[in-house]
Amino acid sequence: MKAIFIVYNQAHTEKVEYMLDRLQIRGYTQWTGVYGRGSEDGDPHMNTHTWPESNSATLTIVGDDKVDVVLDSVRKLDSLNTEVGVRAFVWNIEKSY
Amino acid sequence: MSIYGNAVRKPITTLMIFMAILVVGGYSLYHLPVNLYPDIEYPAISVLTTYSGANSQEIETNVTDPIEQSLNTVSDLKDMTSVSRDNVSVITLEFEFETDLSEAANEIRDAVGMVEGNLPDEVEDPVVFKFDASMAPVIVYAVTADESYEGIEKILDNKVVNPLKRVEGVGAVNLRGTPTREIEIAANPHKLKAHQLSVKRLGNIVRAENLDMSAGDIEMGQMKYPLRTEGEFDASYQIKNIPITTPAGKTLYMKDVATVNDSIGEKTIDEKVNGQKAVRMMVMKQSEANTVTVAEGVNERLTELKTSLPEDVKIQTVFDSSEFINDSINNLSQTVLYAFIFVVLVVLFFLGRWRATFIIALTIPIALIVSFIYLYLTGSTINLISLAALAVAIGMVVDDAIVVLENITRHIERGSSPREAATYATNEVWLAVIVTTLTVVAIFLPMTMIGGLTGVLFGQLGWIVTITIVTSTLAAISLTPMLASKLLHLNQKRSKPSRFNYDRTIRPMLDRLDNWYGRVLQWSLHNKKAILGVSLAIFIASMFLTNRIGTEFIPQADQGRMSMTVELQPGTRLEKSVRVARHIDSIIYDAFPEVEVLSTSTGSSESGGIAAIFNSGGSNTIDYMMHLTAHEKRKRSVWEVAEGIRQHLRDIPEVKTFNVSTGGNQMQGTNNVSVEVYGHDLQQTTLLAHRLSDKIKDLSGARDVEISRKEARPELKIVPQRDKMAQLGLSTAQVASALNNRVDGMLASRFRQGGEEYDIMVRYKKEYRNSIKDIKNIKVQNPAGKDILISEIAEVREFYAPPNIEHKNRERVVTISSKPYNTSLGELATSVQKVIDDTEVPEGAMVEVGGGYEDQQESFRTLLMLLVMGLILVYIVMASQFESFRMPFIIMFSLPFAFTGVLLALFITDTTLSVIAGVGAVMLIGIVVKNAIVLVDYINLMRDRGNDLDQAIISSGKSRLRPVLMTAFTTALAMLPMALGIGEGAEIWMPMGVAVIGGLVFSTIVTMVIVPIAYRIFAVRAGRANQKKVRREFSFMDME
Repeated sequence: MKAIFIVYNQAHTEKVEYMLDRLQIRGYTQWTGVYGRGSEDGDPHMNTHTWPESNSATLTIVGDDKVDVVLDSVRKLDSLNTEVGVRAFVWNIEKSY
Repeated sequence: MSIYGNAVRKPITTLMIFMAILVVGGYSLYHLPVNLYPDIEYPAISVLTTYSGANSQEIETNVTDPIEQSLNTVSDLKDMTSVSRDNVSVITLEFEFETDLSEAANEIRDAVGMVEGNLPDEVEDPVVFKFDASMAPVIVYAVTADESYEGIEKILDNKVVNPLKRVEGVGAVNLRGTPTREIEIAANPHKLKAHQLSVKRLGNIVRAENLDMSAGDIEMGQMKYPLRTEGEFDASYQIKNIPITTPAGKTLYMKDVATVNDSIGEKTIDEKVNGQKAVRMMVMKQSEANTVTVAEGVNERLTELKTSLPEDVKIQTVFDSSEFINDSINNLSQTVLYAFIFVVLVVLFFLGRWRATFIIALTIPIALIVSFIYLYLTGSTINLISLAALAVAIGMVVDDAIVVLENITRHIERGSSPREAATYATNEVWLAVIVTTLTVVAIFLPMTMIGGLTGVLFGQLGWIVTITIVTSTLAAISLTPMLASKLLHLNQKRSKPSRFNYDRTIRPMLDRLDNWYGRVLQWSLHNKKAILGVSLAIFIASMFLTNRIGTEFIPQADQGRMSMTVELQPGTRLEKSVRVARHIDSIIYDAFPEVEVLSTSTGSSESGGIAAIFNSGGSNTIDYMMHLTAHEKRKRSVWEVAEGIRQHLRDIPEVKTFNVSTGGNQMQGTNNVSVEVYGHDLQQTTLLAHRLSDKIKDLSGARDVEISRKEARPELKIVPQRDKMAQLGLSTAQVASALNNRVDGMLASRFRQGGEEYDIMVRYKKEYRNSIKDIKNIKVQNPAGKDILISEIAEVREFYAPPNIEHKNRERVVTISSKPYNTSLGELATSVQKVIDDTEVPEGAMVEVGGGYEDQQESFRTLLMLLVMGLILVYIVMASQFESFRMPFIIMFSLPFAFTGVLLALFITDTTLSVIAGVGAVMLIGIVVKNAIVLVDYINLMRDRGNDLDQAIISSGKSRLRPVLMTAFTTALAMLPMALGIGEGAEIWMPMGVAVIGGLVFSTIVTMVIVPIAYRIFAVRAGRANQKKVRREFSFMDME
């Protein structure tokens, strides 16, 4: 099992939700109104007057086989317009209940 | 969830809410009455006291003085003025505009009640009444007739006046100048003497004969019959056959000693319309009724009634106050409509997308219609002020929607779905939108708090603009995102846009403009000092323009009607006055074809009563009312016609003074400069007033110079010699009533016919009461039965009495009023002040300048206060928005240049600085500041995002150019129809349009250059200092 942390401009919220549904991933945890900035480029999403945009984040734990499908979808989503911003990070799950 | 989130999630609910607003607004609009100005209750109460037989000086000492003294304690009193005239004293108390008048009236009644006991016994109870605009007629008709003229009063009463009184809202319908039937018994004093009869005796005989009386009932058998003596005359000819028994026991008939005339009573007034014998019919409304509604109802009813009148009776409108109201309201409504179209076009030009333009344009009607709900709920009307407010607001209500929509579009273009874009894009800007709205509100809300006449006028403007702007903001963060989520979609870039596509025509043009502006900015940043120097020089130079721009209170409008009062030598007989009137009539016909209806009224109707307040004229005054042809059909304006008539009047030797006035309503009547001469000595002050008036008459800009203290009128005074009278057993009362019977006539009885009553008057034949000799020869019988000549017991003297004595705040005053012509009120006031300074004022007298000029000064002070208050509030809003004390100053840097623009525009268009233009200037603060905020805010943003100062300034400038231009263009173009001032009533609002456009155009240009420079100068240091400060705060990082 892998954990996929998808963090995205809140403008992508509906698309991410749809993506998970479409990929038949049922379980996830979502945080709305989270702030951050990218390591290389892109506007920070800080919910301030200067940087008014903000992010949402979704953490989903999926089987190993789903990881590439999800990452591929995220890449497609990002390709719509890279300015909006979406990133996904994957790491291992040691144990779960 | 947020308001915009909800709005987007529940589009139907949102739509329904706004539909509800539209429905309620539409209902309000349908039911809103129309008027020229907001309802203004003129805050004055009058106290009218009659004291028959007393002349003006006696009235002053015995009536006016004690009442005035007692009234002095009334609270909130602004001014107390009074006129003491023969027989009447009228005291008018003027209050502050906010005063509760019914409470004041109570206080006045109490004060009057206290003093009543101290007044002479013959004084009638003082009447306290509210001065009311409804006393002025709403419509004046002229009724002309040929063969029906004699009976016109009855015809009109039955067929017109009574039905009209039943029209809703009509307070009264009065006829003026109607011939009244009177039966005159004109006695021949020689024959009376021969038969030992007197006027009183004849009168008593008529009274005794013209009688119906019940004599009780008699019972006969089963029945009861009422018994009546019926001696009343059935026809007037019966009067001349009344038998008279003389003291000598001889019987003769009335016709033997007197002539009986059944005809029209002696006329004190002569009415002509377009040269024809006429009757003036005046319709007054009830005080709370609406002028336009009443006029409509009356006119409609009258058309029906006209058909029942005899053919020769014609009814013409002399003036209809609703006409001008309707015309100017329609005109201003059109202006609002044009403003709407202009705004939509500007938005389309800058955005280049139909759907976006539609969404934005939709906020306009919604915002406007809410103000109708406000008007309806507060019981107000659609008037010039409320409509002008809408025209002002229309350019501003779209700004918020534009900002929101721009951001939504940006999100959609980046690939968001319209629904998400609508929510998140609005989330990003909603706070900024509300803050910019606050700056505008900060300017307009204080308008609702000011007092006085200016407050009444502009309170509504303040409310409406505030309400509309706030509504538009609410719509911008709810309706706009909702509609955007439904209507907008991602435009697929067309591979080959057509030749006339927006992207190939206007967009490149705008892009070039952005780039050009970028270069201009770059250049200006390098030449900061030179530009600042030049701008400062322009600003200072423009301040000198203030001396060259005239000032006035409220611009005058060409209402297409005039009124004129001409006074001849006091004491001139009616017949002579009528001849002069006909001469003036003929001049007007020949030289002024613009005059469509000319209604002339010579002399005055009976004096006394409430009418006495408005009417001080006598047989020597001629009143004119003129109705000019429609605005577009004549070349000369009402002022030019008035001036032409003045020139002719000057050449008529009989004319002593005249006053031609071109306005008709309460607001415009104040366009005068009046010099008040205080002083107790009547002769001294009259002399001084005449000296001043002669000098003012010589001023080129002064017209209608008038002295309020009328010229002394010759009077014949019969001075009784009491000891002689006492010896003969006569009292003054007996002598006075004997004289009254013989000259004025004795009301013997009333002749009843057809349900109407006519006076039967007995008096001397006219030829026996026409000279001082005749008067001296009048005989009075003493108790011993002996005839005594008046000349034996009294002296008949001719003397001059001042017909009116005026007070202001309990001091005697004479006012010399003058109106400006081809100059402004302010300039006239200055030259009048100079005249006063050059005139030697004798000891005991004091001279002051007042009148409309005083109001003007007062409201200019109010406006200045408004300006200061607005500035402070705007500062407060901005300081809190930027969380900085410094930023607001950078923004306010652009303000002085707005005023430079206003002054320049006024100067170029030769418009005077009036309260209206002043309000335009105050409004500018809000608009100009808004522009500057947009720019400065963005520069801040760019710097925060890490751009270097110059780069931030230039790129922000380039990116904010379009929104700033858009705001400026929408507002300026919305004002354009107003500034052009075409059509009826437009003169009033033109200065506001001119001021706003001038100020806006000038200051927008300046804003885009000066504000960045100011930012550059102020912000450099702040930037460096900030960096150091932060480093110091987090010094742990620099620790070894």
